[in-house]
Amino acid sequence: MNAIEVEHLQRVYRAQIGIFNRSIKEVVAVDDISFDVQQGELFGLLGPNGAGKTTTVKMLTTLLIPSLGSARVGGFDVVKQANEVRKRIGFIFGGERGLYWRISGEDNLRYFASLYGVDPEVSKKRIPYLLEMVGLKGRGNERVGGYSRGMKQRLHVARTLLHDPDILFLDEPTIGLDPVGAREFRNVILDLQAQKKTILLTTHYMFEADALSDRIAIINKGRVIALDTPGGLKKHVSDLSVVEVETFGAPDSVVEKLRALPFVDALSVEDREQKQMLLIQTERGAEAVPDVMAALEGQRVGRVIVREPTLEDAYIRLVGDSA
Amino acid sequence: MNYGNLFKYWRTVLVVAEMSVRQQLNDGFIIFAIIFQPMIIAILGLFMLQGKGADYAMFVVVGSGLTGLWSSLLFISGNSITRERWSGTLESLVGMPTPFEVIVFGKNLANVFQSLLSMMTSYLLAAFLFGYSLSLTQPLLFFATLFLSMFAFICFGLTIAPVFVMYRSVQQWENAMEFPVYILCGFLFPIALLPDWTTPISYLLPPYWAAIALHGTSTAMLPFSQIAFAWGMMLIFSIVDLVIASQLFRIMLYKARVDATLDVD
Repeated sequence: MNAIEVEHLQRVYRAQIGIFNRSIKEVVAVDDISFDVQQGELFGLLGPNGAGKTTTVKMLTTLLIPSLGSARVGGFDVVKQANEVRKRIGFIFGGERGLYWRISGEDNLRYFASLYGVDPEVSKKRIPYLLEMVGLKGRGNERVGGYSRGMKQRLHVARTLLHDPDILFLDEPTIGLDPVGAREFRNVILDLQAQKKTILLTTHYMFEADALSDRIAIINKGRVIALDTPGGLKKHVSDLSVVEVETFGAPDSVVEKLRALPFVDALSVEDREQKQMLLIQTERGAEAVPDVMAALEGQRVGRVIVREPTLEDAYIRLVGDSA
Repeated sequence: MNYGNLFKYWRTVLVVAEMSVRQQLNDGFIIFAIIFQPMIIAILGLFMLQGKGADYAMFVVVGSGLTGLWSSLLFISGNSITRERWSGTLESLVGMPTPFEVIVFGKNLANVFQSLLSMMTSYLLAAFLFGYSLSLTQPLLFFATLFLSMFAFICFGLTIAPVFVMYRSVQQWENAMEFPVYILCGFLFPIALLPDWTTPISYLLPPYWAAIALHGTSTAMLPFSQIAFAWGMMLIFSIVDLVIASQLFRIMLYKARVDATLDVD
């Protein structure tokens, strides 16, 4: 039996617009997606903002009712058997919210343990163990309001493990964490993976998904556009090389001129303070560099690197193709 | 529901109540609602009835305590779900295996329990500031009534919170609902002083029966038969409130999961 089974799931949001001429606007957030997650698997869900990742997770954690389709988590239907699902899952939505800031971390855990129905004797032993596991040993008696963002995220992990669930939903758990905090957090996820927990992870960070996931589904505009292992996804761009060009203040017109070059398969721009990094995917590899430089004539250019494609490049190509 | 579940839920109710008290005692608004506002009302009442005797002072003590109970119920219990939503904890609570109404019951227990502080504050004011020697004429009956009143208030609060969430237009009238209930339920003076047409409205309000029984047992104004009748009314209202609340919670949670309103995002 698969830990998670999703069949033709769809979710439509309806919003009222207008003051005098009121009408209902429908937005399809998740549009007929299907996938399975095996027991003990770490399954990544990647996609741009508004792709439908969080909506999918909220449907699977019983917090939203699907408009169409069905999903089973731990063998139970997420709508008809919501309470059975809730006993078997843990979930984290990225960010600092969702905790009680006026009481201590330990009291938060005692409170949620009670709501999960954990026996008080069990939670007495489990709470110190979890605080140590997430690196909050000795800080549990402090008010959560005084915790850093990373500490709150780690407390969320401890909260979600109180009842020792088999299936975990981690929705952008490292968002807003500094690099050290994010790395520590990934180590916690690896520990959970070693404990054979089934994990559905959504993230914006490609290297994170690449390093952690057994399989990855890329979703865009509510649809699954690719589902494979990280290695399998990278094969989508195995015929390409990536030319990275550092520029300083290149205008949009120049970027569009580059994008229109016949050998450019995909182009994305990363803004890094004063400079931009142009990521050009091309089959021509190093041979493309003179033509790229010609197109950038008159612009201030820094480093130019030609490298092998990564998962991020595969993602850019797949999302770009589906746009 | 089996007895094992009942025991487990009761344990959860107590933990929720404990955590709610710990959080709320750090909140200035709540301290104002349950201590300072009833204290101001008690001082005004005790001044107005100065020299009228200990029975009147006891009436003020119990009445101002009831104002604290009602304000706490209206503003704290009534907004408990909305507050969880704004702080981002509502999704965590709804996603738990514990029924949501059990959680709100625990929160209401905390609110009602801590609002007893208002009665104690008024008692201390009457005794030490105004020099009254106050004693309960029927202490056993009074505490039994207090226990039952707390239960009735908690159950009434369970119906208010989901109504406030589902019908925001009702919540806009929240402030306007505070003082009329003080008056219609006879917290600070008997409803016999009001026009006759208001009496049926008073009978429909559970806090009225709590006020009748608490005033009656603290000052020996009422025979036991009338106190017992008020108890019966509180029990009937509590059962009706629990039935209505269970339906309201079911509808509210289903609607929130359909409309995606568990979070403010």
